[in-house]
This record gives sequence, C-alpha cells and structure tokens, in this order.
Amino acid sequence: MTWSTLRVLSIAAACAALLAACGKKEEAAPAKSAAPETKAAAATPTGTLNLYNWNNYIAPETIERFEKQFNAKIVQTYFSDNEELLAKLAAGASGYDIMVPTSNALEVLIRKGDVQPLDQTKLPNLKNMKPEFLNTSFDPGNKFSVPYAYSTTVVGFNDKRMKAAGIDPKGFEVLFDPKIACKVKGHVTVLDSPDEVFSAAFIYLGFDPNTTRNEDYKTAAETIKKAKGCWAAFNSSSYIKELSAGNIWLALGYSVDFWQANQDAASAKQDFKIVSVIPSQGAVLSVDNMVIHKSAPNPALAHAFINFMMEGKNAAELSNLIGSGNANAAAMEFIKPEVKANLSVFPDAETMKKLKQLGLLPAEQRQERGRLWTEIKVR
Amino acid sequence: MNRAVPHWVLAGAVAAYLFLYLPLLVVVVFSFNDSKLNAEWVGFTTAWYAKLFRNGEMLIAARNSLLIALLASLVSTVLGTMAGFALHRYRMRVLPVLVVAPIAIPEILMGVALLMFFVMFNVTLGLVSITLSHIAFCIGYVALVVRARLAGMDESLVEAARDCGATPAAAFRFVTLPLILPGIIAGSLMAFTLSIDDFVITFFTAGASASTLPLQIYSMVKIAVTPEVNAISTLLLILTLVLITVASRIAPGLLRMND
Amino acid sequence: MSGATQSSQARGKWLVAGPPLIYLIIFFAIPTLLMVAASFRLAGEFGGLAPLQSENGGWNLTFRTYGRFFESPIYLELFFKSFLYALATTVLCLAFAYPVAWLIARSAKKYRDLLLLLVILPFWSNFLIRVYAWMIILGPEWALARAINGVLGLFGIAPVTLMFSPVAVIIVLVYVHLPFMVLPLYANLEKHDPALLDAARDLGASAWQRFRYVTWPLSLPGVFAGSALVFIPAFGIFAVPDLVGGTDGIMIGNVIKQQFLEARDWPFGSVLSIVLTASALALTGLAALAARPRRSVT
Repeated sequence: MTWSTLRVLSIAAACAALLAACGKKEEAAPAKSAAPETKAAAATPTGTLNLYNWNNYIAPETIERFEKQFNAKIVQTYFSDNEELLAKLAAGASGYDIMVPTSNALEVLIRKGDVQPLDQTKLPNLKNMKPEFLNTSFDPGNKFSVPYAYSTTVVGFNDKRMKAAGIDPKGFEVLFDPKIACKVKGHVTVLDSPDEVFSAAFIYLGFDPNTTRNEDYKTAAETIKKAKGCWAAFNSSSYIKELSAGNIWLALGYSVDFWQANQDAASAKQDFKIVSVIPSQGAVLSVDNMVIHKSAPNPALAHAFINFMMEGKNAAELSNLIGSGNANAAAMEFIKPEVKANLSVFPDAETMKKLKQLGLLPAEQRQERGRLWTEIKVR
Repeated sequence: MNRAVPHWVLAGAVAAYLFLYLPLLVVVVFSFNDSKLNAEWVGFTTAWYAKLFRNGEMLIAARNSLLIALLASLVSTVLGTMAGFALHRYRMRVLPVLVVAPIAIPEILMGVALLMFFVMFNVTLGLVSITLSHIAFCIGYVALVVRARLAGMDESLVEAARDCGATPAAAFRFVTLPLILPGIIAGSLMAFTLSIDDFVITFFTAGASASTLPLQIYSMVKIAVTPEVNAISTLLLILTLVLITVASRIAPGLLRMND
Repeated sequence: MSGATQSSQARGKWLVAGPPLIYLIIFFAIPTLLMVAASFRLAGEFGGLAPLQSENGGWNLTFRTYGRFFESPIYLELFFKSFLYALATTVLCLAFAYPVAWLIARSAKKYRDLLLLLVILPFWSNFLIRVYAWMIILGPEWALARAINGVLGLFGIAPVTLMFSPVAVIIVLVYVHLPFMVLPLYANLEKHDPALLDAARDLGASAWQRFRYVTWPLSLPGVFAGSALVFIPAFGIFAVPDLVGGTDGIMIGNVIKQQFLEARDWPFGSVLSIVLTASALALTGLAALAARPRRSVT
C-alpha cells in the first residue's frame, strides 16, 4: 500500500518536473532568441517585450496590433501599487523592459538611476503629446519617461442616496466635515493610501499637497481623525464594487474607478448612477508614465513600443476601455464622446489648473507621516 | 459509521461543513453572474468561462500555480516528514526554531529577504525561485503535523519490530511510516494549499515573466476582480477533484490512510 | 550502549535531520539573517536599505530603530490587539474543527478520505475570491445581515453593519484558518484506540467524562499543533483586515506591510517583524510547556 502510494507520487513528481522543464524551455527560448535578433535586426526591432504594468491598463486590441506589427510577443506581469514596484526593484529585481510607474514613483526611479535615458530619435510620435504633460519638473526634457495615461483622485457618490441625504457633493468638505459626512455614516470610504488621504486633507485645509511642514501634517491628521468616525473603511480595492452594489454611497477614489462603478451599476440595472466630481478645492492628478529599465533585455523593442503607444489610435484605446485620462492630443479624436464628456477626467482648462501632481516626499517626512497614519488607523 | 458519533459532534461537524461551503457556493454561482464586479447578482451567463479560455495569460498562470504547488508540496512533505521525525526522536537545538520560524515570520519580510538573497547569489528569478521559496515555508507545516502524529504513536510497536531483528531503517519503513501516513498526507494537503494560494512571497520571487494565479488575481484587486476569476477558481477545483479521483482509481491504495 | 550503536544513532540523526536542516539554513536562515541585519541598517534615501558604508567611510548602522518601537504606545497596542484577534480566531477554530476532525476520524474508512478532502477543497480556490464571497454574504442586503438586524430590531437596537467591522475580520480569519486546525486534529484523533473509550464506558463514565478524561488529553498534541498553525499566522496576517476591516481594524501585519511599501522604511519593518516573530515563538514555546500532558495515557 505504502509503496504503491509512493510509486504514484513519484510518477506525479516526474510528470510535474517534465512539465516544468517544458515550461522553462518556453520561457528560455524567447529570451535567447531576442538577443541575437535585436543585434542583427536594427531596422525592425522584434522579440519579446517584458511589460510590467497595472492590470487592465492596456487594451487587448492594442497588444494584438503591436504583436502583429512587430512580429513580437508582449509578456505582461502586473503590480497593483507603485510601492510594490519600488520595493521589488529596491530588492534587486530586474528583467523588465517597460514599466509604468506613477509620477512620484517615477521620480524615485530617476533619482536612483533605475531607468535608462530614452533615445528620442526613436520616438517621433512625441510630437503627439499634449505639451502641458511634457517637460515636468522631475523629468525635464522627457529624458527618461513619456506620459501614458492619467487619473484624478476625486469624490464619487451614489446620486440617489446623496439627494436623499440632502448632500450636494462639490468639494472635500463632504468627506472631511463630520457634520456632512456623518449624515451618511458607515457608507463612506476613502482610499487606503496615506499619499491620497493626506493630500486630500491638505487640499481641503488649503495647504500645498506637497507640503513638508510638520505642523501641516499634525493639523491634517487631526482633521482625518475627526472625520474617521463617519467613515466605514479605508479601502482601495473593493470600494468600486461596494459602490455599484449600493452599500457604499460616498467615496474618495480614482476617476477611472468611478467610471467603471457607474458602468457596472448601469449593467446591473441599479436605480442610481455613480457620479464623480473634481472637488472645488482641487485634486491630485496621477500621471502614469512609460519608462525603460536600466538593464532592459530588449531596449530596441521597448523604444518601438513607446513610440507605438504614442500613436493617436493606440493611445485612445485605453481611454475607451477604462475611462482614463489621455495625455495624447492626437488620441482625442478617437476617444468615445461619453468618455470625453467626463469632467472628472477631461476637465476644462480652469479646473485643470487646480490639479496637482504629487512629488517625492523626503525620508523624514515619510517617516513622520507613516507614524501619523498608523495612529489614525489604530485609534 | 465505525463507532457511534455523539449528536453534538454530528451537529457541530455539519455546521462546520456548511460554514466552509457557503462562500464556495457563492463563488461558483457568481462565476455565472452577468456583471463585471463581484457584488450583485445580475443575470446568468457562461460568457466568463468563454472569456477565460481565450485568456492565455490566466491559463498559463493557473498551470504554473498547479505545477509549483505539486512540486513544492512533494519536496516539503519529504523534508517536513524528516524534520518532524527528527524533532520527535532526537534532541535538536536549531531545527525546532528553523521549522517554526517560517510560519511566524511576516511574509513580506520573507519575500523581500528571499529576493535579495536570490539576486545576491545570481539565481534566475522565475518558476524555480518561486518553488524554492514555497518549499521553505511549507516544511514547517508538515513537520508540526507529523510530529503531533508521532507524539500519539505507540512506541512499543517499533520496539517490537526492533526486537524481531529489524534494522532502524526497516522499522521506520514498515512500522513507523504506515502509522504516521495520515499525518504525512494531512501535512502535504496543507502544503499544497499554502503554495497554490501564496501571494506575497511569490510576488517578490517571481521574475519578470513568471506568473501564478494569485499574482494575476491580486493585481486585479484595484481594478475589478471579474467573475473570470470565479470561473478559473471553479475550474481549478473541478480539475483537482478529477485528478484525485483518477489517481485513486489508478492506485486504489493511494488515499487509504489506514489499513 | 555500545560504541557502534551510538555512532549509528548519531549517523541516523544527521541522515534524517540533515536534509531539512540544510535546506532551511540555505533558503530560510540566510535570507532572514539578511533582513535581521537590515534592522540595524539605515533606510535608503528612496526606500530599500542604505549602503553599508556611507560616503565618508563610516558604517551606516544603528540601534536607534529598535528604540523607535517604544517611542509610541501604538505599536504595543497593536501587538496586543493582534494577539486578541489571533487568540479569538484560534479558540473559535478549535470549537469548529474538533467536531469535524472527530467525525472524520470515526467515520468508516471509505468515507474518511472524501470527508477530509471536502474540508480542504474550498481552499484550493483563490483566497481573494473567497473573501469577496464573504463580503457578499455579510453584505447588508443579504439574509444573514437581515436576520441579525431583524432580531436586533425586536430589541430596539439600531441595525449593525457586519461588513468592515471586527466581526467580519474574525469570521473571515476563522474561515481562512479552519483547515489548518482540522488536519492536525484529525491526524491525532484518528489514532485514538476506541478500546480505551469502551473500557471507560464499561467502568461507568458518562459521555462528558469520557471526553474530558480520555479523548481530550490524548488529543492534546493535535490541539497544540493545530493551535500553533492557526495562532501564529493569524497573529501576523494583513490581508484580511485590509479587505474587511473597518477604519480601526488594522493589525500589526498591516503596519509591517506599510513599512515595506508606503513608508519605505525597511529597517523599521524589519524591527517590527523581529518583535512579531520573537513574540509568536515565545508564546508558542510557553503554550508547548503548558500543553504538555501531565499524566501519561497509554
């Protein structure tokens, strides 16, 4: 009995090992074929592109078209938080060609030297980009990065429930003023991110979201603690579905998320809409960018990919898929009208000025803010 | 039934099984839900299964997860059984700590540490590095269960075998091993479960092109964990059930945990 | 003992203990020591760790990070809170798992395998999906919440939300860890000799007495193993409070994760991890001493 068990188990192990060997050959082969090809075919880059991206952040049609045009293969792996990307690279991970960090994480990568300079002669489509998104303070001249897509951190809500509660969400006071927020106590969530919540509090209090003054931190922490009693949870992951299910009525979240929640509420034939507004006091703008890792295995193909994604038609597909903001002027004509009409994503010029990107926080402020954040969450 | 089971035991066990299966029922039912977000029941559809079969990434990730789990549970069962036996039989000083500590250490610390370790020693990151990491934290689970099983074992049987002239190795193979087999199988089931569902350590030790099912699924967390995930979970369950049924037909003694 | 037996005993010991020991030293001890060393290093300017040697040739090492642990009482509070959550989870798991393990152990052989597999099968689906299923079940529109709030309404108590609360955290924690209590318990209970219970019954012992004086003491090694395999992971978990916890539902695991991610403070994360591991191991050691059966039962 024991031996037949062991026999079966060893056969199973052998099969598993065989499958693993086959799998590894699959992985090894493209990598090996990429190297000689990139050296030989300087004219048309091809091979495998290792893309480290957010999930659902590139349309399947775009991938197909790229793979066909360049006779290449895109291997996508995912992260769901900039910090995960940074932690992994800090511990020494490599092998990625293209990564898509948000601007403040991008700044870290540039300062650490984890990304390689872009060869702009290979990026003729750079002219398609909207000038206000280029030449930022942390990457002057776009030496290392090119904008990919953007989102705003805004206030989203269930229009029916807000009307019933007598709230007209126009700004951050609806989240941070206990008199208003507690009207819908237990049905409010904010993002589980000290970056976002503190920045929202700073904007509400009239401070610069990138402030480094400790007094500002303490004031903001007090405000958050006071409002916390009205909130149900700090949630970045499932608040979209809670909104579309009608359990959560008001949230601090990303414009893309609210767009999706609304789509889903509509398909679920709910009797409410999920609406999002850019708060009157201003909001955080999160721009995601394409960069090439310093030791990318296939930089030629990586450049080709970046240039490809700056073509109007290709860039528009993501906006149409998830309702993200688009930094590409040439893409605007390809974007669906209902997406373009979303003021949280494509606001007028006046409101655009109120949007601020988050910069890199010095280590000391990070520590202090981290301590305050833990306090907020414990008490 | 072998022996009459008291009513309260039966009632408690039924309640526990219901508790275990209620969420699973929701998972399976919602895999047919005509809604992108796993929140409300909208309508019936098999579209997610269709979408899943076109999703090469998800399928490869599932395959990888199964492979890694099989290998990791096998190796960790062997090593864990040895460790459990050693812990029970001999006075060990370092081994007890090394066995229990991986269970206690926060996964994120282990993940970062293992990544740094692999990078330092130039180990290629990929399915291999993931498997090696999984084995490390599974050994403890198997060892503790085997040790608990050994603690309840009747040593006189082993002594009798030795008195009859059996070598220590033979005594182990023909007396101890069959007696602790339920413990070994229990441990290996736990190791398989841990491996197939691990996210944090796998996240850090996967390379730029390796993907497992948890990695795929957790990355969807901020976007939408669509019913496609329910679909693949359901399929994986069915697949494992089928595999085990087939295995038990081929080797009828496979699942017999006692004679 | 003759010299030959002693050396063959020693050989046997290293033959059996050697492979797992070597594996764990290479793939566990060394990486962990890297991070233990990290607790004495400084945080890198942009996350990660600062290089061991600073520009002016000095060493970037310090003990101060450990001191930070005591700077604010919130960390101790968090440890205590996590301890309570883990303890509650362990006790509840034991309560649920014991009947299941008993049932499987006493079932006819042909049902045993199936029942055991049925316990573990749900856990081969993805963790996140199962938690999402719980979020649906605990949602305000569903039967469970409606039933509870209905009862509360009879007493004039305001309706409670089950989601995003300590209740949700405990329910999901128990759910997630249940098989790790069932399996060790089963492995132990299966070995109990029914003849002992028969003898006890013949001597006039009631059902409760048979459990209290025969079954329970014999099952203690299994209880201990299961409790260790539930308490220790539950103590340091972060995923469950993250998903279903309320605004003050975090545990120490969340803060540790925070140090490695948002705070980019690996040394402090390492310090917290070491304290967590040390306390988990210490508690397990204490429990092992306490759980040792006081009389031998053969």
